[in-house]
Amino acid sequence: MNRSTLPKGWDGFAHDWAADQKVFKGMSWGKAMMWIFLLSDTFIFSCLLISLLTGRASTAVSWPDASVVFGLEVFGVSVPLLLIAIMTFVLISSSGTMAIAVKYGYEKNRKLCTIFLLLTALCGAAFVSMQAFEWTKLIVHEGVSPWGNPFGAEQFGAFFFMITGFHGTHVTIGVIFLLIMARKVWRGDFDSGRRGYFTTMKSDYLAIEIMGLYWHFVDLVWVFIFAFFYLW
Amino acid sequence: MNIFVVILFLAVVVGTVLFHILSPWWFTPLASNWSSIDNAILITFWVTGFVFVALGLFLVYCLWKYQYKKNRKVEYKPENKSLEAILVVVSAIGVIALLAPGLSVWNDYIKVPKGAAKVEVLSYQWGWNFRLPGEDGALGKTSIHNITDDNPYGLDLNDPNGKDDLLVQDADLHLQVGVDVEFLLRSIDVLHNFYVPEFRAKMDMVPGMITFYWFTPTKTGEYEILCAELCGTGHYAMLGTVVVEEESDYSNWLAQQTSFEQILAQNKIKNKTIQLAEK
Amino acid sequence: MPEGDGYDYKIEAKAYTASSSGASVSPAESPDQELYHSKSWWTTYVFSQDAKYIGIQYFCAATAIAVLGLVLSVLMRVQLAYPGLNVLDPSTYYQAITMHGMIMVIFFLTALFLGGFGNFLIPLMCGARDMVFPYVNMMSFWIFLLSLLVLVASYLVPGGPTGAGWTLYPPQVITAGTPGNLWGLVLMLVSIVLFVVGFTMGGLNYVITVLQARTRGMTLMRMPLSVWGIFVATIIALLAFPALLVGGLMLLLDTVLGTSFYMPAIIATSNFGNEVSTEGGSPLLFQHLFWFFGHPEVYIVALPAFGIVSDLISVHARRNIFGYRMMVWAIIAIAALSFIVWAHHMYIAGFTPWFGFFFASTTLMIAIPTGIKMYNWLLTLWRGNIRFTVPMLFALAFFITFLNGGLTGMFMGNVGTDIALSDTYFVVAHFHFTIGIAPVLVVFGAVYHWFPLATGRMLDEGLGKIHFWITFVGAYMIYFPMHYQGLQGVPRRYFEMYNSSQASSSGLNEFITIVTIVVALSQLIFFYNIINSARAGKKAKKNPWDANSLEWQTPEMPPKHGNWGRTLPVVYRWPYDFNVPGASKDYIPQNVSPSQVRGAKAERT
Repeated sequence: MNRSTLPKGWDGFAHDWAADQKVFKGMSWGKAMMWIFLLSDTFIFSCLLISLLTGRASTAVSWPDASVVFGLEVFGVSVPLLLIAIMTFVLISSSGTMAIAVKYGYEKNRKLCTIFLLLTALCGAAFVSMQAFEWTKLIVHEGVSPWGNPFGAEQFGAFFFMITGFHGTHVTIGVIFLLIMARKVWRGDFDSGRRGYFTTMKSDYLAIEIMGLYWHFVDLVWVFIFAFFYLW
Repeated sequence: MNIFVVILFLAVVVGTVLFHILSPWWFTPLASNWSSIDNAILITFWVTGFVFVALGLFLVYCLWKYQYKKNRKVEYKPENKSLEAILVVVSAIGVIALLAPGLSVWNDYIKVPKGAAKVEVLSYQWGWNFRLPGEDGALGKTSIHNITDDNPYGLDLNDPNGKDDLLVQDADLHLQVGVDVEFLLRSIDVLHNFYVPEFRAKMDMVPGMITFYWFTPTKTGEYEILCAELCGTGHYAMLGTVVVEEESDYSNWLAQQTSFEQILAQNKIKNKTIQLAEK
Repeated sequence: MPEGDGYDYKIEAKAYTASSSGASVSPAESPDQELYHSKSWWTTYVFSQDAKYIGIQYFCAATAIAVLGLVLSVLMRVQLAYPGLNVLDPSTYYQAITMHGMIMVIFFLTALFLGGFGNFLIPLMCGARDMVFPYVNMMSFWIFLLSLLVLVASYLVPGGPTGAGWTLYPPQVITAGTPGNLWGLVLMLVSIVLFVVGFTMGGLNYVITVLQARTRGMTLMRMPLSVWGIFVATIIALLAFPALLVGGLMLLLDTVLGTSFYMPAIIATSNFGNEVSTEGGSPLLFQHLFWFFGHPEVYIVALPAFGIVSDLISVHARRNIFGYRMMVWAIIAIAALSFIVWAHHMYIAGFTPWFGFFFASTTLMIAIPTGIKMYNWLLTLWRGNIRFTVPMLFALAFFITFLNGGLTGMFMGNVGTDIALSDTYFVVAHFHFTIGIAPVLVVFGAVYHWFPLATGRMLDEGLGKIHFWITFVGAYMIYFPMHYQGLQGVPRRYFEMYNSSQASSSGLNEFITIVTIVVALSQLIFFYNIINSARAGKKAKKNPWDANSLEWQTPEMPPKHGNWGRTLPVVYRWPYDFNVPGASKDYIPQNVSPSQVRGAKAERT
């Protein structure tokens, strides 16, 4: 339906939505699927964070002070939130490299696209490694475990490991797919129409954009986790 | 053959109503002030019953009137906005008519009258204990961390209010007829629910929380306490009794109960004996 | 138009009026779908990527697990009526109620309606060649099957399956007073997580197929209500299952690692025989997460049933569905409301009392869109031309059952009346009417209706009628009297039926058990009918019910891989053009263009 013939207001909105064949005009199936998946995933992280809020409100012992727990000593000076600041910086930067990779993907610039995909994957891997370092430090050196910690309410550890672990899993899966994508772009699968090993379907550079959606989402979620755990 | 189907649906509608009217299974006689709950249920029965009969009979009418005939003229009319609007409004009125009594009951249910006698119910897998305030009318503080064999309710030893609390370590509670009671519900392990069908009221007991409800027993007699929240393999056997009686009987019963202080003293003697025996 | 569908297009003298829309056909927006072509027997019949096959696989797997659920329910009824026979002990009884509930709600009905009917009907009814991601769709089924195996495996581990009731409320589910509190629980939670993962893969397919892969002319407002019901239910599921996933994950950590998400300090022994040393967790948090999933789950089962029954009633009453747009908006309104009513399952759970007012109001509001649907089904029958076919009989049975169950919902949803009735047999009766019997009746109706499409053969009508009479009358006699046990205050989930000293219902109890056995056995007729008819049933003619929707318009019946042969169908109208004035037949399929039925005064859709 032509935009100019649509009725005004909500009626027009409903007409536009209900129109022929596609609700989201010009959007590929894969991209639409990723959006809906991310919507569902948003509910998962919302449930986790709302559980954190209610859990935190109902503990019997007081909640630990984040700046003490997450402090890092550098050359004998204690700097609060240093590691986490670096981690956040790395992950946010990777969103930038991902965006550039998508751009080069659309330009079918295989070389630069591959490089930026690999850079993104590297940032993701660095993030996960730093998280592993943080977990080790908390578990081994500070005695924080999911079932108890010396700083206060034991739910702190439980929620921390569950939520950062769940997010870390998302990042890890993202890194794996980034590497697969990088290989496909490098090999020129999207130009030659080479078929996927499992799905036996052809794919194109749109896959990079869909990958990008996922990656930006994972970064965005981190911002919330960061705010809920470290700043408050 | 179609007529059998029409008769079947007519029989279902009529049978449902007849079963409702003739059913020997009905409320147990009410023994508390919550006649408003019964009334709200009865109002709901009238309203929903009317809707059920009206729609059910209309269905039967349609089935009888519009059975398949090859040349029947069928109406083709996708929409009828005014009819639909009327039906929406009528349904909304019905909903409000049902909601009003329900909400007003709940409003009473959660507002405990001033001066209601307090009774603590302590539930565990699978049984009931009770605690009544002593002379001072106040219950002592408790904590689950204080619970030991000698202090089964986990009373705070430093709280003077707790000393004269009467501990009823038996699934047998007595209440005085006509006196408002506020139940304070505690659980030491899993979810339970303190339910007496004749009082209509119930509430879950959640470990880590103290939940409450209140009622006024209005009829003397002996009633059964049931657990109404699945709590493990012994759930079905988690029964107790509550006896509603006149003031004099109640006072007698009260006089036989032991206070926390007395229990502490008994325990001291008992423990000494055990120690001596061990030596 | 496909050839040879027997539709006779008489061109009448009257001029074609512009009120029948869709005269112009716009070019296809998306290129034709690339299909997976199987190369071996395995990829054709086992690891099939064809949505129709996957639908039938889902159907068979879900039905198989439902048989287990049914057997468990018979055992429970026998135990309740004849405790002397000792068929179950308390542990096995509570394991049976847990498995029965979980199986029937999630692994049977959710999987059957969305995985089974969704896969089979959505591509056909929308005019698509297949689901949009056939490979992901196939994975969805195999992960579902894996989750079923994990669930059944819980009968083989030490301690057996968990016995905490399908609601799995902590702390009870973890403590030693409940059977299966370690391995059974872990397997149950793993199975649920797998189910959610598998379902998400399928669910994304159903949603995107409806949103983005319809054929030309198929606007959203021309979709059959079956598709609407399944589509909206899938969206609800994609947004509600996350709460179950998160709730289940935290419960898993509480069980395995000994965290205290839900565990306050309690006096109890745990799996390892030790005192549980937990502190500061909130049991109510789990209940909130569970019911934030659990209430929408009711509509995940009910909405597809609503949709399918609308189609059955319209087709077999030979009349357009009354108030189609209201029906669609009612589905959407119910779906939206279903997310803000969850705490009506928790009125007496001990939460802040003020929530009661809010949740009772939102809950009773659902009665309005649901009421609209009931009225519109009736108004569809009214002035129709009703064929008493087996699918229609089941649709009518659904109507009366759901009417009753919906109205008793007014007792449960209203906070004041719920105080007396919750946790009694009234609840058991209510939810079995609404999400037990009513949807299952729709499933039977749908199977009788679409069996010819799946196999090319009709189900035996005589056997179908016998099956209908026993199932409907029996199920009504089982559950209707239970309401009155509830009024007496008989609590649910009692291993030994509670008999109040004030009033006894033991005679009723035995009666219910006997009817249960009869109804359960009568399902053998259904299975016999399916097996026998699939092999040697009467050959179905094309479009045997004279329906309008696209699934009957495929070039071959049963439809082949890719559904539509060379070209996709073009849709010109809604699927409910029955008995249009001026038309030569009493139905006009969706893909019949206005010029083929000149003179038919169909309304613009």
